[in-house]
Amino acid sequence: MNAVPEDPLRINLHRVYVWELPVRLAHWLLFFSIVILAATGYYIGNPFFGGDLAMARVREVHLYTSIVFSICALARVYWAFAGNRYARWSDLIPVSRERLRSVWVSLKFYAFLGREPDEYVGHNGLAGLTYAVIFGVYFVMIATGLALYQVYAPVGSPLRAFGFLIPLFDGLQVARLIHHIGMWAIVVFAVVHVYFAVLSSTVEHVGIIDSILSGFKYMPRGRRRRVGP
Amino acid sequence: MAQTRLMQDLERQGISRRDFLAFCASMATLLGLPKAAAGAIAKAIETDKRPILVWLEFQDCAGNTESFLRSGHPTVAELLLDTLSLNYHETLMVAAGDQAESALEDTVAKHKGEYVAIVEGAIPGDIDSGFCTIGGRSALDIAREVCGSAAATVAVGTCATFGGLPAAHPNPTRALSVADAVPGVKNLINMSACPANAENIAALIVYYLTIKRWPPLDQYRRPLFAYGESIHDGCERRAHFDSGQFVEAWGDEAHRHGYCLYQMGCKGPATSQNCPNVQWNGHTNWPIGCGHPCIGCAEPNFWDVMTPFYQRLPDVEGIDSSKWLDPVGLGLTGVVAAGAVAHGVGEVMRYRRGHRPPPDDGTRTSGKPREPDASDHEENPK
Repeated sequence: MNAVPEDPLRINLHRVYVWELPVRLAHWLLFFSIVILAATGYYIGNPFFGGDLAMARVREVHLYTSIVFSICALARVYWAFAGNRYARWSDLIPVSRERLRSVWVSLKFYAFLGREPDEYVGHNGLAGLTYAVIFGVYFVMIATGLALYQVYAPVGSPLRAFGFLIPLFDGLQVARLIHHIGMWAIVVFAVVHVYFAVLSSTVEHVGIIDSILSGFKYMPRGRRRRVGP
Repeated sequence: MAQTRLMQDLERQGISRRDFLAFCASMATLLGLPKAAAGAIAKAIETDKRPILVWLEFQDCAGNTESFLRSGHPTVAELLLDTLSLNYHETLMVAAGDQAESALEDTVAKHKGEYVAIVEGAIPGDIDSGFCTIGGRSALDIAREVCGSAAATVAVGTCATFGGLPAAHPNPTRALSVADAVPGVKNLINMSACPANAENIAALIVYYLTIKRWPPLDQYRRPLFAYGESIHDGCERRAHFDSGQFVEAWGDEAHRHGYCLYQMGCKGPATSQNCPNVQWNGHTNWPIGCGHPCIGCAEPNFWDVMTPFYQRLPDVEGIDSSKWLDPVGLGLTGVVAAGAVAHGVGEVMRYRRGHRPPPDDGTRTSGKPREPDASDHEENPK
């Protein structure tokens, strides 16, 4: 099984294919689109420079990027039903007792109250729940964005159908406010997300940062772990 | 062709047929119809068939009535009202007291399901406190009876369409829009704005007289011909918006150059109406045209959601979001980042204390990927 069985270090780690290509692709496209959307969105809210068609071009970039973002978010939701067990909705939304327990154990561990981390090959309960919540924020952003956009959609555009969203948000101004708050929620999430990715790669040594590029995670042998329900 | 009553009236008022046709052509343009439609409109208005109209005023300032009487083509518009048989209008009618009330009762009784009710003003939902009682009856009672038996109801002004000023927080009279006060009202058409644009009311009546149907509506039951596009899309200052040229203080250089009022809280991007094209007071001007941002008066709850009028974002519990949202967001990001660093230090210390020795990661890149085996699937032995 092992190419060099005499090397004890090599025996202690093994590779597991965790993140399938659609998951990684969605992750990175979401990353790049969020960077662009946040930067252009900030400008649209606070136009701090002017110039030849500055606002028009920034809005154009924002609108086209939002298409990429929306498709990726939708595709990732589809993959939560079609993908492997690490990508499934049940690994994100904690409904089983086991996953709810994992949320609690992870929360205690990261609050320095618990001694043992709750290890999963995929997401631990807390991470899964966080991603479920942030996807909720993504869809609020998509809904408020569509509500704000449909006013400008050309006559005959199917996007005009999203006018029904406006009363749900109590008007466009409230939708605009929610859209703006949502940006900051995503920025704060990004900070936490990057921190935990770095933490688990450098301190916990499970290779999370590598894994979102390669799809493979390195799991120490013999360590307690779960694969989820 | 024998002169109709309308043409005789017009002549008596010194309005030539040329002026009348100009009015018809302008209505055709407003409705987005081809120029040739002016003829059809003229013919429809000229006929002597007079739809019956009652105009109810509740919690209002009569601003819509005033606006309509001072419309761009005042005499023609007034005669247009005359074309409709205005059986009841508190501000305009000569009758008063019992005589006026009986005019309304007679109309409702004799022309049930035929007349058009126009409602101006919000309707107090709190009937026990006696707000807005007319002839001993509550506004709610009158609205339900009169609108309930009308062929169509036209709510004019933001108070009647969405509750408007009386319904603004804290809404002491529990003011309601027509749609909320009279559930299931037939053929409700909302003509929002404060006041509703007289040209649009005239166009709605012209549309009904000409096409014999009510126009297509948006999600708030407002006619698309008047509320189908945002103020922002039709704005004469849109080029300045697109180029990022904004007014930043009242009377600054940009303001004097007529730059975009977006930064001064203009609600044009959130408001749908045809103000940029139709304008006000007979195409004299309109708010943005004279350097004032749009306050979004045609939108629901505008007193609550479009305020503060001179800030881009609505307040949250009295806190100025436009000023504080970004600093708070940035501050929160900084606090969370600092927290992450502190947490990271804690984690490193925990692992240094030998909680769990990190495995050597020099082995990661070599070796064939191993197929997951039973040890990957083992359940928690706990």
